[in-house]
Amino acid sequence: MIEFDEQKKRLVLKLVYYGPALSGKTTNLLCLHDLLTKEGRGDLMMLDTKDDRTIYFDLLPFFLKTPSGLKIKVKVYTVPGQVRHDATRKAVLQRADGVAFIADSQATEARNNSTSFDNLETNLSLVGLNIERIPLVVQYNKRDLDDIIDEANIRRVWDPTGIPVYLTSALKGWGVLESFADLARQTYHSIDKRYDLAGRHGLSSSEFVSRLTTRS
Amino acid sequence: MAKTPTHSNGKREDNLFFVVGDEKKLTELMTCQEVAPLLQGIIQAGACYAVIVDDNSIRLWDHGRPETNRATCQVSKGLFLEGEEVAAIMVQGVQDNTPLIQGLASLAQTTLQGLAQNNLKLMLTTELHTSVVNLSQEELLAVNAKLTASEARYRELAASLKKTVEQRSAALKKAHSRLLQQEKMMAVGQLAAGVAHEINNPLGFIASNLRTLAKYIDRYRQLISALQQATATLPAEGQEPLQALSKKLKIAFIDEDLQELLGQSEEGCHRIKKIVADLKGFSHIDDGETTATDINIELERTLNVLTAQIPEGCRVSKDFAPLPSLLCQPALLCQVFVNIITNALQARKQGLHLKLSTQKSHNTITIEISDNGPGIPPHLVNRVFEPFFTTREVGEGTGMGMAVAYDIITAMAGTIKIDSSEDRGTTVTIRLPLKV
Repeated sequence: MIEFDEQKKRLVLKLVYYGPALSGKTTNLLCLHDLLTKEGRGDLMMLDTKDDRTIYFDLLPFFLKTPSGLKIKVKVYTVPGQVRHDATRKAVLQRADGVAFIADSQATEARNNSTSFDNLETNLSLVGLNIERIPLVVQYNKRDLDDIIDEANIRRVWDPTGIPVYLTSALKGWGVLESFADLARQTYHSIDKRYDLAGRHGLSSSEFVSRLTTRS
Repeated sequence: MAKTPTHSNGKREDNLFFVVGDEKKLTELMTCQEVAPLLQGIIQAGACYAVIVDDNSIRLWDHGRPETNRATCQVSKGLFLEGEEVAAIMVQGVQDNTPLIQGLASLAQTTLQGLAQNNLKLMLTTELHTSVVNLSQEELLAVNAKLTASEARYRELAASLKKTVEQRSAALKKAHSRLLQQEKMMAVGQLAAGVAHEINNPLGFIASNLRTLAKYIDRYRQLISALQQATATLPAEGQEPLQALSKKLKIAFIDEDLQELLGQSEEGCHRIKKIVADLKGFSHIDDGETTATDINIELERTLNVLTAQIPEGCRVSKDFAPLPSLLCQPALLCQVFVNIITNALQARKQGLHLKLSTQKSHNTITIEISDNGPGIPPHLVNRVFEPFFTTREVGEGTGMGMAVAYDIITAMAGTIKIDSSEDRGTTVTIRLPLKV
């Protein structure tokens, strides 16, 4: 959940990149780190990895100030995708303000995707969040590969849910920024009513999104 | 599973909430011991003063002394944490050393940011570790609590199971011994009925033959009487051998005794017939079903069957009031009477007085069977109806008699009670409702 300190005029938002093992969550953050301007962005912090597999999490922080002087920090986390790190996933998922679900487009990964999505739903409810209400985008990553599930199939499954789906390649940089922008926009709208970001703090939705997605 | 947050603001009411990645202040990320050597180095390298201030211009750490006399140069560099400028390092030196001061400031900025970043990483890792361990512990505790609860449930179940099994076994044992008793009674009944049937046939022709024999003997006597009259007309020497023979053969005594023998035999036959009839009636081999029963008749029958067991010199008094017939299974009722009367007959060896009485009042039939025996000790009266309770020697009594009687009477919606005192003997009172 959002962290808001009225006195210090600080707002901390937490976005979590969730998904099955090796679906490209860390690559997404690396891509954002490479594409976006250094201004208002911290370094990508990768906690210990083993054989290039995330075992804790990665963290890419953003910082911006509204015209009113409200300091907003946006922390983008990844979770470890491997099944055995479920406790870590739960810990990271706590108080999340938005979730990007990174699915693996490879045809062989369909089962892992759905298992991981079920796991997301379960863990969200365990930490007191509702998948129906939390800002959520879905990425079908690795579109640059050959043996991948076709788009019609993806649309057939996901369109009825109303969850926006992006076809991406984090390795090539396709769609990564767009999906991040979508998540940022949804997150903005989910908190705007409560904190009146536009009215009291002079920060519009598009301003918020563009500050987070300014290319270098 | 670990507790879930209960509020949208993330506050937990019930338990700890393990948050990873809470906002950190710079002072939380760096210690004086880490910063001081760096600032000292800057001074040693030629700067006069080095200071770190936070975003509210509050001095966090410093070293050296601000130069006030000579012309100075100051270089300030921002310190960023997660993209946010949270503090600044300012290095001051004499103007001549400007390039050095600039170099030192850049160096300090890079080093301090690296330090903060690495420490943050370390803290996040530790936090996550702690969080995961705590979560796992909570989960384990929850699992443990569940297991403990289910174990307790199973224990409880097992305990009550043992109790239930014991109760059932006791009930089964009771039912089993009752069945045995009833079976024994049935076997006795069947045997009695069989014996009665077998005896009836020979008894029939014995009785019939006896009657024919009496007739035949009568004819012999007529003949003998005629012969005696004819002999009386003979001369004395002609009569003598005949009279001698008649005397030798004790014909006169035989003639007298014959009547008695025949009478006794007929009487014996009659008694056998009665006993057989009672045995048959008592065994109720033909009517195990419910029938209209006269309790007085059943009492008589029972008493007759038990004749052999009535000790010598025993006085039996009967006080039977006329009773309406009762719908019941007479065989069962006879069993009750046998069990009670047998007890009474064993109460004392000499001078026993057995009293049987029946009464009718309102809708109840009352049967009293009492003896003038030594009575039952007060502390045992309550145990008389317990199965297997007996004061007799092992093998003499099963201890089932009164228990069976109790069951049968209770099943007939009646009551059975025992009054006993040492001076008045024991009275068993059975009350049976006429309408069940």
